[in-house]
Amino acid sequence: MDTMQQPPRPARKVQNISPKLVIWIIVAVVLVMLVLSSFFVVDQTEQSVVLRLGKYNRTVGPGLQTKIPLGIEASYNVPTQVVQTMTFGYRAANNASSLFGRTDYDNESLMLTGDLNIIDVQWIVQYKIEDPVKWMFNVESRETTLRDISQSVMNKLVGDLPILSVMTSERTRIEVEAQDNMQKVFDNYGLGVRIVTVKLQNIVPPIGAVQDAFEDVNKAIQDMNRLINEGKQNYNKIIPSARGEANKLIQQAQGYASERVNQATGDVARFNSVREVYEQSKDITRTRLYIETMESIINPSSEGSVTLIDKTLANFLPIQMLEGGAK
Amino acid sequence: MSTATNKKLITTLIVVVVFLVIFVLLGPFYILYEGQQSVVTRFGKIVNFEQDSGLKFKMPLIDTVVVYPKKILSWDGAAQRIPTKENQFIWVDTTARWRIADPAKYYETVNTVNNGISRLNDVLDSSIRTIISENFLNEAVRNSNQINNIKIEEQVQSVESNEDAETLRNLTVTQSRQETITIGRDGLSNMMFDQAKQFTAGFGIELIDIVIRQIRYSDDLTESVYQRMIKERNQIAEAYRSYGRGQLAQWQGQTESEEKQILSAAYSQSERIKGVADASAAEIYAKSYSADPEFFELWRTLESYRKTIPGLNKVLSTDMEYFDLIYGKTVKD
Repeated sequence: MDTMQQPPRPARKVQNISPKLVIWIIVAVVLVMLVLSSFFVVDQTEQSVVLRLGKYNRTVGPGLQTKIPLGIEASYNVPTQVVQTMTFGYRAANNASSLFGRTDYDNESLMLTGDLNIIDVQWIVQYKIEDPVKWMFNVESRETTLRDISQSVMNKLVGDLPILSVMTSERTRIEVEAQDNMQKVFDNYGLGVRIVTVKLQNIVPPIGAVQDAFEDVNKAIQDMNRLINEGKQNYNKIIPSARGEANKLIQQAQGYASERVNQATGDVARFNSVREVYEQSKDITRTRLYIETMESIINPSSEGSVTLIDKTLANFLPIQMLEGGAK
Repeated sequence: MSTATNKKLITTLIVVVVFLVIFVLLGPFYILYEGQQSVVTRFGKIVNFEQDSGLKFKMPLIDTVVVYPKKILSWDGAAQRIPTKENQFIWVDTTARWRIADPAKYYETVNTVNNGISRLNDVLDSSIRTIISENFLNEAVRNSNQINNIKIEEQVQSVESNEDAETLRNLTVTQSRQETITIGRDGLSNMMFDQAKQFTAGFGIELIDIVIRQIRYSDDLTESVYQRMIKERNQIAEAYRSYGRGQLAQWQGQTESEEKQILSAAYSQSERIKGVADASAAEIYAKSYSADPEFFELWRTLESYRKTIPGLNKVLSTDMEYFDLIYGKTVKD
């Protein structure tokens, strides 16, 4: 019985409350939606362009901003503080701007130089959106326009220079002129961007045999230096030692000279002294000298053997004994 | 409040909302956003066009609004293989900017944006082809004659004398005088632009520019250019290597020459020193010995005996003066 009686009461309640509640709920939901849709958030890196009924009304900065809801005002956030990068000739993988893990786009980067050679030029362009209104409403395909003009300007500059200058001395000039030229064209379009920088990356001859040939020139320069150094090495190995050798020869000669002169002086001094005595008593000295000399010559302790013989054999001599004594 | 009044209220609300929606959908207003322009037609006839953004009016139900972009549009041409005046085939890749300047005329003659692009294809492709094939390759590649004012030379490194560096530079020079151009790439772009502009104006299109995005050789020509570049590099590499070998030989020669010079000079000097010494020794001896030649003979002979004889194995005759006394001779016989 209880179960039969109880259900009608809640049902009646619902019936009683529902019309008012539905209206209030609808009104509340509409209000909440209106309030929510009249606020929007602008990031620190952005500016927001507000259109009222399709017409430009104002530009607002970062923070919580308000607009008239119900589609009367529309807002577009534009990242004006962010420096954006475009690469030409390659695309970095996974958005990392490293040179590793990247794909080359040869059709963008192969160019004719002024001396009708072919070169592979890769570069980047960094830009910032300077005027969000112009950026939003002046040019339709903005990325394409940026790419097209950048490519065209770079091709024109490289096409005006010889290949060696592009690779070496004129790099900076190309960067500066490319930036100027691009900026002029974009200003002319009213694109609302400012080119922050143009940087040339790899500038290389076409990959393959041509690049190898360029590489070979570097190798040839190394070879040249190696050969020259070999020559110098050989020179350094021989000449200083030859100079020493020469000094040695001269020193030796000087030594010989001193020796020779000193010897002569000594010999002469001795000779002179003895001669003085000889002059005083010629015979005595002569005989003395003779005997002294013989003595030292026939001295048994001298090295050679001495054999005495009688020329006429008139006298007998104990030869054997003399021989033995000589030993 | 009774349920009847509530129901009435809801019904009124719904009716109001439905009417509002119908009015707005079919109604006299439409929003033209920034970067848009519109043409209003009534039964197919153009009655109005709008180029400023904002809330715009039209006759409900009977007027149709066609919206066009007012922004600058880009035209991306396919690369064309075109012979130049000297009959070299090159790929020319161009791009152009344009905009719908007169929406009414555009509606009449072109109608949709895609149609506009195909009209541009016809007009631009033909003027690009005409201009390129009427001019020499150099006019399309270069933009000025500055190339002839730039001095190109190899970076000659690690060469000692200026003379050698000069020789190497002369050997490796690759610069050749380029033909003088009179129009240049920008000039050609302008000529294309002028030619195409006359036709596009009739479509209500304003052509803003035509730029050459890229110029490339045809594939067979590319190959022969590669070959030429390779040969040029080979020649330079050889110059360096040959110069290196030359320097090595020169160093070797110089080494040998200097070595001989040094040693022979030293020999000559040492012999001279010895000679002078010998001479002065001889002089010293002569001066002293000539005082008494007789004694000199005695002295020198005895000195010489002393030096030479002791080492010999001697067989002496007993009748030498030294042995006189052994046999009883008197000293003064």
